[in-house]
Amino acid sequence: MTELLLQTVVNATYAASYLALVAVGLVLIFGVMGIINFAHGEFYMLGAYCVVAVYADLALPFLLSVAVGLVFVSLVGMAAERALFRPMRENPLGGLVVSIGLLLILQSLATLGFGVRMEHIPPPSQTVVQLAEGVGIPLQRLVVILAAVALLGALWLFLRRTRWGWALRASAQDPEAAALQGISMAVASRIAFAIGAALAGVAGALTAPLVRTYPYMGHSVIVAAFIVIIVGGIGSLEGAVLAAIAYAFAHTFVTTFVDGVIADIVGLLLMLAVLIVKPTGLFGSRDRA
Amino acid sequence: MLLELREASVAYNMVRALHRVSMTVPPGGIVTIIGANGAGKTTALRAISGLARLAEGEIVFAGDRIDGLAPDRIAARGVGHVPEGRRVFADLTVEENLRTGAFLRRDVDQVRRDLEDVYGRFPRLAERRRQYARTLSGGEQQMLAIGRALMLRPRLLLLDEPSMGLAPVVVEEIARIVREISGTGVPIVLVEQNAEMALELADYAYVLETGSVTLQGNAEELHGNEHIRRAYLGG
Repeated sequence: MTELLLQTVVNATYAASYLALVAVGLVLIFGVMGIINFAHGEFYMLGAYCVVAVYADLALPFLLSVAVGLVFVSLVGMAAERALFRPMRENPLGGLVVSIGLLLILQSLATLGFGVRMEHIPPPSQTVVQLAEGVGIPLQRLVVILAAVALLGALWLFLRRTRWGWALRASAQDPEAAALQGISMAVASRIAFAIGAALAGVAGALTAPLVRTYPYMGHSVIVAAFIVIIVGGIGSLEGAVLAAIAYAFAHTFVTTFVDGVIADIVGLLLMLAVLIVKPTGLFGSRDRA
Repeated sequence: MLLELREASVAYNMVRALHRVSMTVPPGGIVTIIGANGAGKTTALRAISGLARLAEGEIVFAGDRIDGLAPDRIAARGVGHVPEGRRVFADLTVEENLRTGAFLRRDVDQVRRDLEDVYGRFPRLAERRRQYARTLSGGEQQMLAIGRALMLRPRLLLLDEPSMGLAPVVVEEIARIVREISGTGVPIVLVEQNAEMALELADYAYVLETGSVTLQGNAEELHGNEHIRRAYLGG
């Protein structure tokens, strides 16, 4: 029983890792642009398809394909920001419509390029790291956890120690007041999209061999990510990380010990409970939404 | 003239907020804009700093047209704007807020000295430099917003309702600070609902009514004006 508990903790940590990567990007983009990016799950999907194209099809090294995923999805994010989202600033409804349009376009492009069937990606590594007697973690999952910790740590340092990191935090809290300090809204938006998309792309790339890769795979992660940012408090990066951990643990434990459908219900109930007790989310201060 | 509005109009959703307003601000002293709620005072400042777009007219700052520039470009030219409602960054510390004001500056050493200057001017901010701005009182937040704008080393300072929502003692303190800043040679445009305070501080005053300038003149003269006394000074 102890082994099962420990194993579930390990599994939940893995789930929390990639969920946090996706949710933090979503929060960053919402904070700076005031736009809820429904296409964020598709950034995740694009990252996974970079692995399909570069690693599975071209047989290049797995880590190279992850790097391609990071750079490519980041560029897609920046292009989407410039062409679609920037003109929709101060227009949340327009931003919503645009993001749903982008979602459909990216899904269709993935379908055109790769077909609707699930891609089989040969696992880059079959190694299982034994953490304790009867508790193990596949190396592939361990990499996701370590990458998430490293990337979120780097993001934290960037936001707290650099000039533009500071500017981004200020923009996320009050874009107009930030502009009055000389912080370009356009540049802040571009950086937010570049980072947000890159994080989602990396999450998709790293998990591609572990999940089912198909054009509509973004749905599964985006619903969880929305629950996470609502629980964590829209606009709070720390909140998103902590809520991702809370959600992943609740979901994984209920899935393991009860079943998957109940786990989804528990996730939604968690969101409902937070909305009733603290409508701004656990770490949210702002009522802007 | 340092700043000139020429027949400037602003419309929000087809409703005219500012109608052919012309104003001039000299390179020193305090110019105030007074008027009732919704008269267009805040809109005038937002037009200057680029937050509101002009429907017609032009704005010239230090010899160059600045209407149509993005707010961050106008800030880069030296226009500091303390917005209505203070708008400090609640989840940044006091010091981070002040450093955000120096975002455009590369003179690291001088920024550090200016930071100490601001702390010298506002000792209460110095005591709270590691606190989040959200924990400050209204008066302290106003001081932080002013300090943040000073960190830009502004060539022109726009102050929007610095007395709003503050206790009378604090209003006096803010008035003293505004006078001090003006004394260091920074020209100020002061928007106020508190016309008494504004006319006391200012050299020149504009009166806005439903988006148009209806009266202007030396602050002292306006203070004695019968219409102003009845409409804005409560007597």
